Amino acid sequence: MIDAAPAFEIDFAPATAGDIANNNLESARQQAWSRFWQAPERPGLAELILEQEQLAAQFLGDLGALDRLETLVHQLARADAESARTWLIHAQVASMTHRFAEARDYLAQAEALGLLAGDAKRLSLGIDQACATRLDWVLEVRRGLAAESGHLEDLVPLGALLADLGEFDEADRIYHRALREYRGVSPFALAWVCFQLGVLWGELVPEALSSRAALWYRQAIKYLPCYVKARVHLSEIYLHSGDVADAESLLVPVVSTGDPEVSWRLADVLKAMGRPTESEEEMRRARSGFETLLVKYLLAFADHGAEFYSGIGNDSLRAFELAKVNLANRPTLRAFEQAHVTAVGAGESEAASEILIAAEKRWGGTPAFAVSALARGRCHRD
Amino acid sequence: MSDHVDGPRSIGDPAADLSDLFAFTSPENADRTVLVANVFPSAGATAVFSNAVNHSLVVRRASVAGMGEAAKFKTGDQEYRFSCRFGVLEPGTDGAAPIQRGTCTLPDGQSLPFVVNDEKGAKTPDGVFRVFAGLRSDPFYLAWLVANLKEFPNLLQHDNVLCIVIEFDTRHVLDPSEGSLFGVIAETSPIPRSGGFIGHDPPRFDWVGRPEQTNMRLNNPALAGTDDLRDLWNQQTPFAIPEELQPLFRKRLVDSLANWDMRDGIADWTPAALAATANVYLDDFLLFDGSKPMSDTSFLEIEKSTLHGRAYQTGGGRTVNANVIDIMLTWMVNNDREFLQGGATGATQPGGNTFPYLAPPNTQLQTVSDTVDVLAPPDQVWALIGAFGGTWHPLIAKIELTGTGIGQLRTIETIDGKQIIERLEAIDNSKRLYRYEMISGIPASDYTGTLDVTPKGPGSSVEWRVQYRANGQPNIIVKTVVTELLKTGLASLRSRFGAPK
Repeated sequence: MIDAAPAFEIDFAPATAGDIANNNLESARQQAWSRFWQAPERPGLAELILEQEQLAAQFLGDLGALDRLETLVHQLARADAESARTWLIHAQVASMTHRFAEARDYLAQAEALGLLAGDAKRLSLGIDQACATRLDWVLEVRRGLAAESGHLEDLVPLGALLADLGEFDEADRIYHRALREYRGVSPFALAWVCFQLGVLWGELVPEALSSRAALWYRQAIKYLPCYVKARVHLSEIYLHSGDVADAESLLVPVVSTGDPEVSWRLADVLKAMGRPTESEEEMRRARSGFETLLVKYLLAFADHGAEFYSGIGNDSLRAFELAKVNLANRPTLRAFEQAHVTAVGAGESEAASEILIAAEKRWGGTPAFAVSALARGRCHRD
Repeated sequence: MSDHVDGPRSIGDPAADLSDLFAFTSPENADRTVLVANVFPSAGATAVFSNAVNHSLVVRRASVAGMGEAAKFKTGDQEYRFSCRFGVLEPGTDGAAPIQRGTCTLPDGQSLPFVVNDEKGAKTPDGVFRVFAGLRSDPFYLAWLVANLKEFPNLLQHDNVLCIVIEFDTRHVLDPSEGSLFGVIAETSPIPRSGGFIGHDPPRFDWVGRPEQTNMRLNNPALAGTDDLRDLWNQQTPFAIPEELQPLFRKRLVDSLANWDMRDGIADWTPAALAATANVYLDDFLLFDGSKPMSDTSFLEIEKSTLHGRAYQTGGGRTVNANVIDIMLTWMVNNDREFLQGGATGATQPGGNTFPYLAPPNTQLQTVSDTVDVLAPPDQVWALIGAFGGTWHPLIAKIELTGTGIGQLRTIETIDGKQIIERLEAIDNSKRLYRYEMISGIPASDYTGTLDVTPKGPGSSVEWRVQYRANGQPNIIVKTVVTELLKTGLASLRSRFGAPK
């Protein structure tokens, strides 16, 4: 059993039931596509589809959304190649699949075609944050946006940035503010914040507080029972605390999404339950799923793939190779940490030392580095 | 595990988003008034209401408090409030779609339960009230690109909305003997919680009085560089815009109306008339008078007559089929000098004369799409399949062409003896694309196909896409036919030109 956790002292806002929101998203998404095929250049429509597909991918584990977005940008380019919005949407889709260099090129093209500075700035911020570049500027702008609008969609990225910078308590306060000040009834929004709080306390702080993280993941799932990522993360906590039956019951209902992370975690759980044949089957399914995704969307799934192969995927060289791809694409502290761990796992001690030196050079002066696994690694080295 | 913050830019529940409000005398019975509120623009085929939202229609008695440049409509304090709430989804029986139930609380305190999408609706035992809620064809149509005032086909063609229809006996409920002019608004708001912190929930998510108060007047897209006041407006209490905010909203309305006036380059409004009209718009509720005739053209007549200093002649209101955008644009742009007709003369389906008055939902267009990558260059592939009369498809025995160019017909005889007739709608050889419409032969309507070839790597990618509405057949039957047609055709191209490794 996981440790008893403190009860929430939060007055959780009511939201539309998760199954209603899920049903409405799916039907509206299909309706939007139906309209798109009739008139792809219709103002606002491609933008609506982009948001709906983002929701489907982020919350429902619907990875087909990525293929559909590729179709969207392809069709939009054919229908309306000379408009700034076409290239902005190209940039947004590229950014979503972590093709950040491409995204910057598309964004420049959109700006050349007259994209409003505000729209360009917002996406630039996201790219810089994901790539850990110009973080001082990103933080200043994020704080300004959050102060100005107070909207959840401005507060959550600020919280995430603060967490990346090691400012965990402030990140927690920002996420709580997002929950407190949200003025809608979308369970997607509220579940998103709860999930971020789960990640904060379960994975980002130096000493994970699993019981606190579990509370947040559970609340995210309460808002949105189909929230695949939240189920996956909560199942990891259950697995590590020995609650394997609970972990299995979280994962089994979402295996049908085809998300390889679900099969991966289920393989772990089944192994722990002493069901090796079923575990092996799920592991094969996960491996096949990851390889398919890595062929199509290498940069988007390189870090996930690296973690899979360094664990039950049992291919330390592949893990290191993918971690390097991810690190080259966006040298975040977490990317350095992962690359270092996988280098060590692959027996590449020289490469591991080089990664450590590079990480220290880039992140050494930050509070986040001071509490990172890399800093601990440095101490061991010293 | 790493996770990234790449969520959408805005997250709201579209089911809380009010799109339109209507008020009219029942075409079935002149003694009854009908109020309609729509939520969830572009709702999908299975859309249902949020169970976390209170949907209210609120009527107040109104009176003319000033005429001409001092035109003003005042409302009384007494409210006639109709509030609808909806439950969670209940499983349907024998695999049927889930069921949603709702309850409408009526002005006299009665609760009227109903089932969503039940066309008959629900009535109170005395027959005074009748309520329907469910998915219907969107009666609103907007056939302009508003930013540059360019005609366009209806932007909401084939769209559906979730609607709430409330019909009641006018005399029994509103007692018009005390005054027959009323203002109505619709609002969506949080459902009050027991134990919830006071001040936590917003007072409302959205509200609407006259159409396009927010999107066209307060946030006129042509007023570059101005702050977006829509959120602030939506947070205000209907019938009671605070005095301290009135100058802000009034100035924006004046600026916006002045801009609309000059969209055709001609000043049709005097500054005084613009200011008076802005004042009327500031009191944002839909006016109706059940003692006078309401028609598809009576929308805004009460406001206009009052601004012209004369007694109004109609019941105003807004009927389901009223062409509100063109009526509003004509008034704002040229002060009714010349009617501005957009690119459509009606919604996807007109409203009906019987309860629940809004047409049934539009059938969603189905899409079947398939793609194949081949080794041959695009021009070589297009040379084969780009001819509208080409017989490259293995399921086709013979094709006969009638006519030439756009509009030509091809009569296809399939290898199993069926006949399909299709018409060429568009062809672009430079883009290697053509589009056709099916005239007969497949049990579907609005059937269009698009075939195109694009470069991909060392070869090409061929995409074939068909959209249709299943016509009196289960969709699965039509889908199977179309899918087979596309798959077989594209597979033959792969065999002919080779597939990339």
